[in-house]
Amino acid sequence: MFPLNLQTAFIVEEVSKIIKESVEAAIGGNAYQHSRVNQWSTSVVEQCLSQLSKLGKPFKYIVTCIIMQKNGAGLQTASTCFWDNSTDGSCAVRWENKSMYCIVSVFGLAI
Amino acid sequence: MSDVAKDKSQKREKRTGKVSSEGSHGVKGNTRTKDSISTVSCLTELGHHDENIRMTVTMENTYQMGPHKRFPVPAVTDILKDVLVSYLQEEKYEVEWSQKMTKTICEVIRARVKDLMIPRYKTVVLVHIGQLNGQSMQMSSRCLWDASNDTFASYSFKNSSLFGVATVYAVYYE
Repeated sequence: MFPLNLQTAFIVEEVSKIIKESVEAAIGGNAYQHSRVNQWSTSVVEQCLSQLSKLGKPFKYIVTCIIMQKNGAGLQTASTCFWDNSTDGSCAVRWENKSMYCIVSVFGLAI
Repeated sequence: MSDVAKDKSQKREKRTGKVSSEGSHGVKGNTRTKDSISTVSCLTELGHHDENIRMTVTMENTYQMGPHKRFPVPAVTDILKDVLVSYLQEEKYEVEWSQKMTKTICEVIRARVKDLMIPRYKTVVLVHIGQLNGQSMQMSSRCLWDASNDTFASYSFKNSSLFGVATVYAVYYE
């Protein structure tokens, strides 16, 4: 039995590192501002996506980002996937600072 | 002679590796910086877990240029609307209930999209249920895929105490 080729596998640690870096770069240290949140969320997602495509792996990616103001409100998120378990994977990173939450999830589907 | 024959038969062997499985998110690691905290969670499998390491599967050529049957976005949007309205109408936001409900709605939507029997499409279903508390939020997503074959469907629902958003991404498996 041969192990899965590392060059073409979805590696969670690598992806989560990319996500954390993108989030920190885009919104780290900022307080929630309604007027800027659209631009922040776009930049988080686009940065994630460009870093992921630089990995050069044969994957299609779906990146979602939720930025929510801290207000005591609750939020539940769930996802379920119909795919090939041996080749596809996902990773979710939850980031927060004093004024907002940011949840980024990345799904990688092998082609 | 026999070696060549063996090679040929190996090349002709066709294997499909599609396994559907349930997943739930489990927390993996925490890091703390001066004024922000980040948590990483990754997919954990609830259903049958393959203990053996899988071989990389090489597929044969199908010579198919695109999907024979495209993903029906309006039909799926109707499914999402139907499921969200029936499960969330007249409900109030409560923590444990909404935790179970997000997972249930996810499973129901995935089952109904599977029933549509669209071949060669992988699907990802996301459901968010949140409390309405006067807060502001932004949800966005970007995808790196083949825009001619892959698509998504989304629906959002709101009542007096909660909101629910469901999204289905459909990715063509070449």
